[in-house]
Amino acid sequence: MKIAVCVKQVPATTAEKRYTPDLRLDRTATEAIVNPLDEYAIEQALRLKEAGQADEIVFLSMGPEGAAEAVRRALAMGGDAGVLVTDPALAGADEWVTAKVLAAALDKLAPEVSLMGMASDDARGSLVPGAVAAVRGLPLLAYGSELRLTDGAAQVRRLNPTGFDILEAPLPVVASVTDQVGEPRYASLKGIMAARRMELTTWSLADLGLEAAALTARSRMVEARPPATKPPAERITGVGADEAATRITDWLASRKLIA
Amino acid sequence: MADVAFLAEFVDGAPSRSALELAAGAAELAAAGGGVAVGLAYGPGAGEGAGALGAAGAGRAVVLGSDAAPAVTVAGPLVASVREAAPQAVLAPATPNGRDLAAILVGSLGAAAFGPIRAVRMEGGQIRCEMSTLQGSVITVSEPTSEAPATAVILVSAGTYAPREGGSGSAAVSAAPTEDSPQSSVRVVETQAETAAIAALEEADVIVAGGRGVGGEAGFAELEKLAAALGGVVGASRAAADAGWVPYQLQIGQTGKVVKPALYMAVGISGAIQHRVGMQAAEHVVAINRDPDAPIGEFADLFVVGDLFEIVPRLTAQIEQRRGA
Ligand SMILES: Cc1cc2nc3c(=O)[nH]c(=O)nc-3n(C[C@H](O)[C@H](O)[C@H](O)COP(=O)(O)OP(=O)(O)OC[C@H]3O[C@@H](n4cnc5c(N)ncnc54)[C@H](O)[C@@H]3O)c2cc1C
Ligand SMILES: Nc1ncnc2c1ncn2[C@@H]1O[C@H](COP(=O)(O)O)[C@@H](O)[C@H]1O
Repeated sequence: MKIAVCVKQVPATTAEKRYTPDLRLDRTATEAIVNPLDEYAIEQALRLKEAGQADEIVFLSMGPEGAAEAVRRALAMGGDAGVLVTDPALAGADEWVTAKVLAAALDKLAPEVSLMGMASDDARGSLVPGAVAAVRGLPLLAYGSELRLTDGAAQVRRLNPTGFDILEAPLPVVASVTDQVGEPRYASLKGIMAARRMELTTWSLADLGLEAAALTARSRMVEARPPATKPPAERITGVGADEAATRITDWLASRKLIA
Repeated sequence: MADVAFLAEFVDGAPSRSALELAAGAAELAAAGGGVAVGLAYGPGAGEGAGALGAAGAGRAVVLGSDAAPAVTVAGPLVASVREAAPQAVLAPATPNGRDLAAILVGSLGAAAFGPIRAVRMEGGQIRCEMSTLQGSVITVSEPTSEAPATAVILVSAGTYAPREGGSGSAAVSAAPTEDSPQSSVRVVETQAETAAIAALEEADVIVAGGRGVGGEAGFAELEKLAAALGGVVGASRAAADAGWVPYQLQIGQTGKVVKPALYMAVGISGAIQHRVGMQAAEHVVAINRDPDAPIGEFADLFVVGDLFEIVPRLTAQIEQRRGA
């Protein structure tokens, strides 16, 4: 049983972000990390291996050459191999291009489960897992709070309006998991050292049999601007609880928020 | 003719709130291009109920499926319908089900994807989508490229459009064409009911959200009273849901619900960026926190520094009194 975990390199969550004049995210300006939600996917895969339900974990990332660092950080947590798809033609890739490229790499790796995070920090779309499933013609099991493997099938436990559904599909599948799978482990020093020495596989578009000309982005950004700044909050401080309650009530009433 | 389609999920025989909101949004966009809104209906009761989407703004409705199977199983008829009708856009709710189907459209059609959007504009027949990107730190505007196929896929957060009121009329209903899809093999093998019906956060005008500072179920019972006095519902941070004080259905934020109430009260919530992205569209934000430096103070409208256990019961009493007067 092989699980390929897709990990994306993103700017650190709290870092100041900028766009370059040609409206690309300025990835040189900020510290880069493994997309936080992908760490949960890594954790889920490693737990399945520890439970004896998977025997090989491969990490896959598409990005600039520097994204090799994200693959190594994943390997530092565990797993067996790392693959980076990098090609100058991929700058400015959108959801569809990303899905086409990851799908081609996953076809080549042929895992039983292609596992992803529920969303990337810098895109917020949660669209790549389903788009990869559609391109590869495989069932999609998204938003799992847990991934389970049974004989010939995969299951995810997924939140519904009043509880959870257990969704099942025959292998191979594309799946994504949420931050409910359990807190990601920290990499050990030993893990970090071992990951540093590991040989990564690097594929270009040509290695995947893809042509750059057929992979033009379907959307483009035409404007980026800072959001309107909010005026600083009114403060109620240093007063007793009765006085605070009265002042909150007045504030709400003056804005017609008390019916 | 530029029709605009929307995903219309049915729950227990009736269109969901998101279906009604998207119908209004699609009708508005379609009108700008001289087309109609087309409802793509699925879920229990969609077959009998699809005509009723007319009152919500739809000119036509296509039934993708009418049973309780996972939403993703309508992928075959969805992709075939969109291929055939080639609307200018498909609006999808930014929910897990909506995103699954939107993603399958993107992968199947090679479509441009946008969202969740703050606003969509039609400029000279071209779609332009405005989004809040990178945890709300940038507003971006994007459009389809010339290589994009006719249909753009647009995710829409709850509360972006208001449902039409007092509409009438019925949409012409047709059955969907279909094609083979691997999603037909996805099935529900078990359902675990954990809680009784939970008020939908996305529909609430007032949300009283509690965090780790609320301390436990007893604290949340106090928030329930405050919410009731304000005519609202209770929500939570991930820390409160992780602690088991409230079900995950009430979690607000990056991995929970995205809400847009008129009033959001954050009680004992520090205001982490992952929480903020779920509630920053609220019209009024009131925070109660004993830490004067809590990050929530940076984006609240009213920041009350103090002990929630002392303030909340008094606030509930005062509001009840004021309403009674
Ligand atoms: C990938 C990822 C996704 C995440 N998604 C989400 C998400 O969707 N939603 C979410 O909420 N979080 C999410 N988080 C977690 C987030 O980072 C924070 O850890 C979480 O929001 C903190 O919850 P909190 O504010 O309730 O708790 P804390 O940060 O512990 O804050 C508690 C607050 O209560 C105050 N307080 C304590 N006692 C009192 C008192 N008696 N009176 C008044 N105030 C008091 C404290 O001053 C403090 O500010 C995510 C994290 C990650 C890594
Ligand atoms: N460039 C990428 N490389 C590897 N995985 C990716 C990439 N982009 C997206 N993913 C995967 O798809 C998931 C959802 O991303 P998104 O659709 O961008 O929100 C992420 O959590 C990753 O697991």
